[in-house]
Amino acid sequence: MAEEYPFEISPMFEGERIRKDGMFVELSGPKSKGYELVRATPMDEIEDGKFTLIGPDLSEMEEGSRYPFAMIYKIAGELVEEDLESIVERRNHDFQNYIQGLMHLNQRYDVWIRVSKDAVGKGLTSFEPIAQAVMMLFKNELPFIEKVEAVYVTDLAEIEKEMDNVKAIYKSRDDRTRDLHDEDVDTFYGCSLCQSFAPSNVCVITPDRISLCGAINWFDGRAAAKVDPEGPQFAIPKGDVVDAESGEYSGVNEIAKSLSSGEYDRIKLHSFFEYPHTSCGCFEVVGFYIPEVDGIGWVDRDYAGTAPNGLPFSTMAGQTGGGKQVAGFLGVGINYFRSPKFIQSDGGWDRVVWMPKHLKDRVLSDIPADIADKVATEEDAPDLDSLRSFLTDKGHPIVERWEAEEEPEAEEEVQEEATFAAPAMMQAAMPMQGMPMMMPPSSGTGGVKIILKNAKVSIDKVIIQKKE
Amino acid sequence: MSELTTGSFSIGDLENVQITINNIVGAIDKQMEKSDEEMGPTPKPGVSSLRDWDHTIFERYNPIYTPMCDQCCYCTFGPCDLSGNKEGACGINLEAHNAREFMLRVMTGAAAHSGHGRHLLHHMIDLYGKDYPLDVGPTNIIAPNVQAVTGIKPETLGDLDIVLNYVEEQLTQLLAAVHAGQEGAAIDFESKAMHGGMIDHVGMEVSDIVQISCLGFPKSDANPPLADIGMGCIDPSKPNLIVIGHNVAAVTDIIDYMEDNDLSDKIELGGLCCTALDMTRYKMDGSAEDQVPKAKIIGSLAKELKMIRSGAPDVIVVDEQCIRADVLPEAQKLMIPVITTNDKVMYGLKDRSNDDVEDILADLTSGKEPGALLLDFEKVGEIAPRLAMMMSEIRKQKGIKALPTEEELKDQVDKCVHCLACEIACPDNLPISEAMKLAKEGDFTKFEWIHDKCIGCGRCEFACPKDIDIVNVIEKSSQKLIRNEIGKVRAGRGPISDPEIREEGVNLVLGTTPGIVAMVGCSNYPDGTKDLFDIAKEMLQRNYIVVVSGCSAMDLGMYKDEDGLTLYEKYPAKFKSGGLINVGSCVSNAHITAAVIKVAAIFAQKQVSGNYEELADYSLNRVGAVGVAWGAYSQKAASIGTGCSRLGIPVILGPHGSKYRRALIAKPYEDQKWNVYDARDGSEMKIPAAPEFLLTTCETIEEMMPMLAKSCIRPSDNNMGRMIKLTHYIELSQKYLGVMPDDWQNYVRMETDLPLAKRQELLKILEEEHGWEIDWKRKKILSGPVMKSDVSAQPTNLKRLCKEA
Repeated sequence: MAEEYPFEISPMFEGERIRKDGMFVELSGPKSKGYELVRATPMDEIEDGKFTLIGPDLSEMEEGSRYPFAMIYKIAGELVEEDLESIVERRNHDFQNYIQGLMHLNQRYDVWIRVSKDAVGKGLTSFEPIAQAVMMLFKNELPFIEKVEAVYVTDLAEIEKEMDNVKAIYKSRDDRTRDLHDEDVDTFYGCSLCQSFAPSNVCVITPDRISLCGAINWFDGRAAAKVDPEGPQFAIPKGDVVDAESGEYSGVNEIAKSLSSGEYDRIKLHSFFEYPHTSCGCFEVVGFYIPEVDGIGWVDRDYAGTAPNGLPFSTMAGQTGGGKQVAGFLGVGINYFRSPKFIQSDGGWDRVVWMPKHLKDRVLSDIPADIADKVATEEDAPDLDSLRSFLTDKGHPIVERWEAEEEPEAEEEVQEEATFAAPAMMQAAMPMQGMPMMMPPSSGTGGVKIILKNAKVSIDKVIIQKKE
Repeated sequence: MSELTTGSFSIGDLENVQITINNIVGAIDKQMEKSDEEMGPTPKPGVSSLRDWDHTIFERYNPIYTPMCDQCCYCTFGPCDLSGNKEGACGINLEAHNAREFMLRVMTGAAAHSGHGRHLLHHMIDLYGKDYPLDVGPTNIIAPNVQAVTGIKPETLGDLDIVLNYVEEQLTQLLAAVHAGQEGAAIDFESKAMHGGMIDHVGMEVSDIVQISCLGFPKSDANPPLADIGMGCIDPSKPNLIVIGHNVAAVTDIIDYMEDNDLSDKIELGGLCCTALDMTRYKMDGSAEDQVPKAKIIGSLAKELKMIRSGAPDVIVVDEQCIRADVLPEAQKLMIPVITTNDKVMYGLKDRSNDDVEDILADLTSGKEPGALLLDFEKVGEIAPRLAMMMSEIRKQKGIKALPTEEELKDQVDKCVHCLACEIACPDNLPISEAMKLAKEGDFTKFEWIHDKCIGCGRCEFACPKDIDIVNVIEKSSQKLIRNEIGKVRAGRGPISDPEIREEGVNLVLGTTPGIVAMVGCSNYPDGTKDLFDIAKEMLQRNYIVVVSGCSAMDLGMYKDEDGLTLYEKYPAKFKSGGLINVGSCVSNAHITAAVIKVAAIFAQKQVSGNYEELADYSLNRVGAVGVAWGAYSQKAASIGTGCSRLGIPVILGPHGSKYRRALIAKPYEDQKWNVYDARDGSEMKIPAAPEFLLTTCETIEEMMPMLAKSCIRPSDNNMGRMIKLTHYIELSQKYLGVMPDDWQNYVRMETDLPLAKRQELLKILEEEHGWEIDWKRKKILSGPVMKSDVSAQPTNLKRLCKEA
């Protein structure tokens, strides 16, 4: 079966760039048309390994020119289902890039491919070996694909004819992804891939919660679990709903206990404070509780400054991770901001008070409109003082919480104000503070004797000795 | 008293009085008290504290010696012949003596780095005070090596003082063990060598974080500026001020003086060795994109003699470490005054530190003195540039001629009698005689070929019975080449930041970054700088992260591809798949081990403080990093490499580095050596022979390439990671050796470990040649592998870390 392809296949060619002067032809791309599509197809409608080309082949193409290009793969197998199409489809990008002399960019109807002159020079004269190689790789990686057939199209009319249908398929897939929620499925997926570095971390992947690293969503988990049920991605039967609001399920708790070697036995998927989901360390954003305003702030890896509490990302990130459950800090992927169940248990977006501007801009469309301008950034609130006044001015829902808490004792406010102001002050004035406190010469307590040396104008050195 | 801190204070009552407290007796204890950090079992380990770990390692990775010399000449009871299992007068045997010699080399290297650190620290504390805060960029662990070893979490310059006190104590204790008539067991000398290597990384880390914090070096910068490198980038028509060494302290005064006096454009400031690298880091932090490094890099130690012989320098300033011992006589021949600035290198020159600047200038310009020892950096800062301006004129007027004329070149070449003495003396046995033969016929191209490989050591000249100035002949013949020797190197970026490591985590886990290859060590590559280029390019294309430092960082910038670009210009400088990172000078090597420690701290929440053994265990079993010292291996390099050994990072040496003739090699066929504990329950688990060695040697690049990939395999790889690592191992073996490796199947636990494109083919081989059972319908391996694939397993060599233990 070790077929000879007229090219090398290796992940080392993934980064290969084919520039204009090195390209034989360009396929699809921004100045042409095309798409890639994987379709689940009944077994009997597929002839395994068959390749069909509609339109001119590589050998009939003119060097240096551009052609439309579509790739359709039909897959079949006992375990193949429509929900797996997009997973397989995404691998077309990786696999085509494994091929030396082929560059594949983007996805769906934005695909953009170049074939290099070198590859053609080495004997690549037809699309067939490319399709064959991709089909081979599909089957090797995803053995649930029992049969696969490829149709490549380089004929413009044929591509245009199908375009609307194809776009409709993409849209229905997107709708399904968007409309699928935790409550709609009875199986979640777990991923323990990062246990190779983070021994006790378990990622629970649900329709409303993508893996922390952002690399694996519920559909990926499903596909991988089908390939190898005992592999690093596996099914977690949801079990009983313990608490829907916070996302606690008996099945998840059981898995948490066994895979963390008993480190913890409960996980609330959408909770910040109680039994939060663990993280390995590669989280993009860390959430932190700000007790002074009873709200939650988020800071991401790319933010170089400090949050209102005076701490940078790296310091807070150091508090969590490593597969440990730490209340008050939560590592998440940026995608989790898009989840409709985003820290649902703790008030969701109503509890969010601060995030860096570039992060806020990135997820702006997913912030509920009525709260969006009430979440402060470093421009509005660099410290706790300004944060508190910003939230008050904007009428952030968190303010109601303060009021609710403050009602019983009116005096508390003053006290609280004093405490939350303190850390910020100390940050700035720390080095100055110690001295005056010990300086008053009048008190005479503490047994400190000070000798000033060379004290003409400025003082070079101070020797402080304990009184014997 | 608890409020008393060091620092600068103003007092309201006393107008214009500022008090600076530099030191408080008892501060050390306070530092320990205030730390709420949990402490691991071995803060500030003594010589024996981590001995168990060393012995665990040596049990699998046996120290092997193939001694160059079987005598011991350490004391006057001897010299003793130790050959044929004889013992010396003190009772030592050859094995222990070799281990001792190696340990001494490690200590020499460690002392060089920490001595450098001590000097810098004194100087910076003098300038900025003990309370000056450390800042190395975004991180929660400012000094991973320091913290892991000593348990101290340094925040200020003063905190590092305590750290170096510890380092110095350890070095003293280790050195004491070298004295005649003590340790008899090679394995315990080896353990001491490991201790010295570990201490070295602490000393290096201190050195570099001091300069990063105080001198405005890039702070964990993922996109530092590019600097010019090469003999060709120095403009010989300007006054040339050349700095050689590793300690940039004095040079910063020179740069400042030149800037303050508008001399930056008038004088060509170039450097050799790590001082040069650090010059390009000076005042390069901050976000300004248009920042241009304030000096040019000429190259590594290998370029020192050539640069001096070119006659271009008008003044040479040296500091410490890799500096040729003959700089002064060589410079003197060409009327180049030499300024020594560090007590490690004084060349017998008069100490002029306390003399008047004008007097010193007068003595040097008149040639009354060939140079001066100046330990006052402010004076160096002023004298060196002024002297360069003056000497440039004087040397021009005197018509100082360096390289031979065309005619003289011909005469020199004609003198050659082809006795081959030079080739025997040459460390690379370069074909000098053949080049002479061709040159006699007017063809000098062979000398150009030699130039790239020649490390300018000058041994050939001493061997030549006809007194031919062979180095000059090579250099003169290669003038055209040298003029075009202009490369690019990234200014050293310092540590890898925490956010970068977190971001890269997903790639390390998924195998899209198959490993980290650190190219370290000194020049003298078997096939010149192209070797480095080939290694780095191959691994970068395969998405390994390539980290360089010191000599290799410089030499890598000297080779360009077909587009005329260096790899620095082609690959990103970020810690990510396919990233090419220059951490900086030799002392920056500590950031490489630091990154490994950070991986354990970030992804596994491993405690760092005083927890060295557990961190090393994590690294050995989980982090796919490998070092390559493809050129020579100075004592400093040996010490850096040995620090890696203790932390569980394998190192591969090239033909020159192998000359200490010691290796740490495991035997893949010794089954019982490849069992570890599963920390979940303390049960024994089988692991593959990975890594297969902690220190080994390769003769050729072809042999090394697949070995690099194999050295990144670790017991805890998940199958995506293993699949990619195995793919590269097999591909590199096929590409460079033309064969499948003979042990690839030992790394296969299940079908998903197999390279994707070859899965079918390999399954067939497993079935036919190895008798494995395959379910062809499901393409599953039914039986055959000796190991289970279980990503949740927690391999450890330490019983104490097991749950049930």
